[in-house]
Amino acid sequence: MDRFDRDVRRVVYGHVVREGRAPAARETAAEVGCGEHDAAASYRRLHDAHALVLFPDSMEIWMANPFCFTPTPHRVTAAGRTWTGTCAWDALGIPAALHTDGLVETECACCREKLVLEVAGGRLTRGAELLVHFAVPARHWWADIGFT
Amino acid sequence: MVYLRSEEHVQRWLEANGYEAGATFPATTLNELAAEWWSSRLDPDWRPRSVEESQAILDRLGLTGGFWRLA
Repeated sequence: MDRFDRDVRRVVYGHVVREGRAPAARETAAEVGCGEHDAAASYRRLHDAHALVLFPDSMEIWMANPFCFTPTPHRVTAAGRTWTGTCAWDALGIPAALHTDGLVETECACCREKLVLEVAGGRLTRGAELLVHFAVPARHWWADIGFT
Repeated sequence: MVYLRSEEHVQRWLEANGYEAGATFPATTLNELAAEWWSSRLDPDWRPRSVEESQAILDRLGLTGGFWRLA
């Protein structure tokens, strides 16, 4: 990953944290100081490197993991904002990435009962009794990241 | 990657969806994994981790065996 793509990635994540949403390529281009085409091409390279996930056939960002930009069952409150976690792992990854406490409001995948997890000082202070299931072996996680 | 209330709910969910069993573990372990995996995500000097570095995180948390091999 070259310096330009790392800079684009840094700008994307900075925008996510600041604005609570993913930036369009033209917004990233303005901040990086490049053309929109160059920013879009970088988005594609970052997608191919699994550093961002674009919606299929689109230049719009679906995931800047652990942050997701489409609805999921995993709502995370951290750093004064509400976020969407891509999955159970990413939901807990949001407070970890932000280096802050966090509240995860989610559901049991089986019965849809509402579940709450809370992270305080890096420790799970609510929801410690819950289980997590990963269905896909690690070597196949990126084969269909939306399913994983 | 989902949360479930209990082992019973894991089994019911697997059967209802026709999934083969993967890996079930405590949410506390996932929290530790999340901290190790994501805490550097927003670092200004972030760089991609190597497969070996990522595997070492899983190994440290006892997430070993074939299911957890990244390559």
